[in-house]
Amino acid sequence: MKFSRNWLADYVPGLTADGAELGRQITMRTAECEGVEDHAPQLKDVCVARVESVEPIAGSPNVKAVVETGRYGRKTLVCGAPNCRAGLLTAYWPLGVKKIAGVGSEGMLCAGDELGINRDHNLIVELTDVAVGDPLPGLVPDAVIDIDNKSLTHRPDLWGHFGMAREVAATFGLELKDPTDISLLPSGEPQVNVQIEDFTLCPRFSAVVFENVKVAPSPLWFQYRLQAVGLNPINNIVDITNYVMAELPQPMHAFDADKVPGQTLIARAAKANERLEALNGETYDLDPSMIVVGGLDGPLAIAGIIGGDPSAIGDSTTRIIFEAANWNPVAVRKATVKLKLRTDASMRFEKSLDPENTLRGIARAIALMKLVCPEARLAGGVADVRGPAVAPAPIRISMPWMAKKLGRTIGQNEVVSILEALGFGVTSANGELEVTVPSWRATKDISMDADLVEEVGRIIGYASITPTAPRMDVVPPKINRERAFHNGLRRHLTHVGFTEVHNYSFVADAEARKFGFDPADHLRVLNPIAEDQALLRISLLPKIWKNIDDNRKHFDQFRLFEIGREIHKRPEGLPDEVPHLVAVVYAKDDGVAGLNQLKRLALDLLPEASFRAVAGVRSFEHPARTVAVMAGDTSVGRLFEFHPSFVEVGRAAVLELNLRTMEKLATGRTVAYTAVNKFPSSSFDLAVVVDARALAGDVAQHMPGAVFIEDYRLPDGRRSLLYRLTISRPDRTLTGEEVTAERTRLIEHLRAQGFELRA
Amino acid sequence: MEQLFAALEGGLERLNSAPTPEELEAVRVELIGRKGLIAELSKGMGKLSPEERVATGKKLNEAKQTLEAAYEARQAAFKSAALMQRLEAEWLDLTVPPSGLAPGAMHPITQIQTEIEELFVSMGFAVLDGPEVETEFHNFDALNIPPTHPARDMQDTFWVEGGHLLRTHTSPVQVRGMQTFKPPFRMIAPGRVFRNEEVDASHEHTFTQLEGMMVDRDVSIANLTYFMKTLLAKIFGREDVTVRLRPGYFPFVEPGFELDIQCMVCEGSGCPVCKHSGWVELLPCGLVHPQVLKLGGLDPAEWGGFAFGLGLTRLVMMRYAIDDIRWINSGDLRFLNQFGGPRA
Ligand SMILES: [Zn+2]
Repeated sequence: MKFSRNWLADYVPGLTADGAELGRQITMRTAECEGVEDHAPQLKDVCVARVESVEPIAGSPNVKAVVETGRYGRKTLVCGAPNCRAGLLTAYWPLGVKKIAGVGSEGMLCAGDELGINRDHNLIVELTDVAVGDPLPGLVPDAVIDIDNKSLTHRPDLWGHFGMAREVAATFGLELKDPTDISLLPSGEPQVNVQIEDFTLCPRFSAVVFENVKVAPSPLWFQYRLQAVGLNPINNIVDITNYVMAELPQPMHAFDADKVPGQTLIARAAKANERLEALNGETYDLDPSMIVVGGLDGPLAIAGIIGGDPSAIGDSTTRIIFEAANWNPVAVRKATVKLKLRTDASMRFEKSLDPENTLRGIARAIALMKLVCPEARLAGGVADVRGPAVAPAPIRISMPWMAKKLGRTIGQNEVVSILEALGFGVTSANGELEVTVPSWRATKDISMDADLVEEVGRIIGYASITPTAPRMDVVPPKINRERAFHNGLRRHLTHVGFTEVHNYSFVADAEARKFGFDPADHLRVLNPIAEDQALLRISLLPKIWKNIDDNRKHFDQFRLFEIGREIHKRPEGLPDEVPHLVAVVYAKDDGVAGLNQLKRLALDLLPEASFRAVAGVRSFEHPARTVAVMAGDTSVGRLFEFHPSFVEVGRAAVLELNLRTMEKLATGRTVAYTAVNKFPSSSFDLAVVVDARALAGDVAQHMPGAVFIEDYRLPDGRRSLLYRLTISRPDRTLTGEEVTAERTRLIEHLRAQGFELRA
Repeated sequence: MEQLFAALEGGLERLNSAPTPEELEAVRVELIGRKGLIAELSKGMGKLSPEERVATGKKLNEAKQTLEAAYEARQAAFKSAALMQRLEAEWLDLTVPPSGLAPGAMHPITQIQTEIEELFVSMGFAVLDGPEVETEFHNFDALNIPPTHPARDMQDTFWVEGGHLLRTHTSPVQVRGMQTFKPPFRMIAPGRVFRNEEVDASHEHTFTQLEGMMVDRDVSIANLTYFMKTLLAKIFGREDVTVRLRPGYFPFVEPGFELDIQCMVCEGSGCPVCKHSGWVELLPCGLVHPQVLKLGGLDPAEWGGFAFGLGLTRLVMMRYAIDDIRWINSGDLRFLNQFGGPRA
């Protein structure tokens, strides 16, 4: 939303702050200013000039003109405008001498766009009733303050200059001048018939008729004001509606009264299959969720959004109906989404405008008509239909409460004067203030005491509040064990050489399928950014694989890990979000070292881990290099090498762990200390001979406490697994016979399990 | 006997000039070993008169001491030479990079998150988690954003099957906090959030936020500012930072603020980093909206609070002057490996 500094100053006559200062103050007190720009600064140099003579330039469409500027003397210049003629009073801008079409041009005569008045570029401006050498009447350099629309979301009143002027007046402690003279409203029988079918769709509808209207361009000063805030001047009638919109803010619409059958306007829901050709040339299909201003024969305008072409103001229009209505913000917003059409009016109606403004809008339009269409006459009284109005309940606040919320003391007088400057009614009773919310803040912005803390706080300035530590109980916070556990894992992994990655939660259907996951098992995003980001991951592996594939282009070897959530659908309620750890070792070698490192890692993170053969491997797993990671009979994850068809160059070993299971296992894990034995222990070794593809893990589970020493390949292809057993007693030294007996017992046990022992 | 004594005379020279430790040892055995020359001469003393015996004994003793001293000196010389040789031979180029595994790096988001978690835990805040897939109620309704609220348009929401959504902010954890804890309480909730936005150098659909909330009987704007200054001083590694509050609209706080920090590049005088304003917009915050307290099951007449939201992704980008947000979730080790190593 753009604000003109000069326009604001109309309502705050004492204002001396320039645009930049206004921008700063508005940012600190009201809403975020995104920038301040000078508008038409050249106007301080531009003056009225009379064209004295014009002569053609051979071979050029331009003419050579001699002009009397008064202020700068007589000048010769080159002008390309077809309306440049002797005797014309126009605008002269003293620029340096510039050669155009072989002629030295001493400055220029200006078109509307060159002065920030409108978008006219072909014709130089034509002035009347002005003296040569004078500044252009009503046109002074302006500053445009651009306020972030998002920061005005909750402030319908700030979508117009008068509302912002109220803020400025309160901020600077200046008087606010209301432009609206409600006594201008004519009484008597209205010459327009207004009906509202549903007050929730249209809480209020006001209208008035003018006759003897002459549609023409607005005066330049009027156009200039609209242009400064980005509203393009069109003609005097449309410009009035835009002016009132940018002022109060009350969007209005002007109908050609002769094109409104029966002079009847009906606020109603659109009917199915109704269509309207709008002012922008597009035709819109309407449906019953939208509101229209209907005539006797069908819709005339899409309420709050855009007018219809058939009843539009044209050059031949002589009678008009000014409409100022209040529309349901939600219905307007939904219609803009459906129609893909957002307008200056709809942006305002979406914010819940003040229904009291419809009559004020009509009164302003009447006043402005006198300025820009003086010939026009009011016809009949004002039509004004409204639903039942509910006065907002007053809000009670006490000074101690206000001080408690602000964190500083504040006098009652100061609070009262701030609230009154912002338009609140304040009465004092029983040590409390009873605050009445003005209509323009009551539509949804302010309804409770907390809202008033903001009103007071922002005007006194938050800088006046000294940061203070709160009084609070000293209580150690509850520890988030899951997070502490994950952070511990992260520390360990980085210490042993792994770098943490963060991957997106989205995967593509194709990615899921590539890994053998069914896309239907994934939670689907209904409005994905792109089709390849439509599923929520049920495994970290697809993206981890991508990490491998990306990084191997830059590194011969690397280690990385991610801790992230798998998202699993559930029949009802929110999905199950299961934290997982995936660690990867990539190298261009035979892959053994990487698997070994991850095996080491698994045991570091889960000391009771064992590795077990898996029943079936997944498509991306190396069929001869995949095991389950177990804690007893609980599966915790997998250790595998990526299948060569997934990682073609080099080897990638992967450790995948379910951290929810891991955390359960780690919870309550303590150190079970036993006294160091004072009596010496005895050791003996056992060599178990197994087939080439037997699993050492299967052997070890029959010898609890055995320490693996060596895996030795025998000449016949079988393997000899060497274990060392150490035995002791807490109360005595074992005798040689006892050690032998234990060894014999173990050997027999192993033989009974079908193992062969080497001598 | 005389001959033997003569051999003894030459022995000193032989010890001193033995070329190797082995020859030195051989000469030692020959002269002063248990069966060596001295021992042999001592045996022959029995045939001498008592006077001769005394004189000879003294002479032999002197000779033995001389020879032993010479032996030891020579032996020490050999040892020292051997040591010198070993030291010389053991020269290593210690500037060769080490073998073995270098530590990896924690993700910079994790690092800043951990720092902030530690700070808040030290001030009595609990760390809470919430789901990444949220209910509409927690993400919007309970935060005073009803279905008709225009603020829902400001949030570009990813919707998923089953009527749920990917949380657009960490604020829903406020609601979960109020449902979890009995007041008074203090909590933070870091986590991943999602916005339906095209990705480019400065926009991401996936980023990390940290929500904070304090609920107590008397919580003021002054308290909020105090915690925010403490937080930012820690994040930016300063004794103190200058901040300002200005009005900001967020449906779940009232009053709501944008908190700006004075630009640390120009110290407030204006520069390109702060777009010549002297201030950098950093975080939204405010006093918890009474309606949000009510929906969280707390009585706003009794309890109040503040809440804030901090964009960790943005903080990381600011801290390291990262020019493209896409590096954060790239998984590219050329980027991530730069964040390793201990820092004090
Ligand atoms: Zn700066």
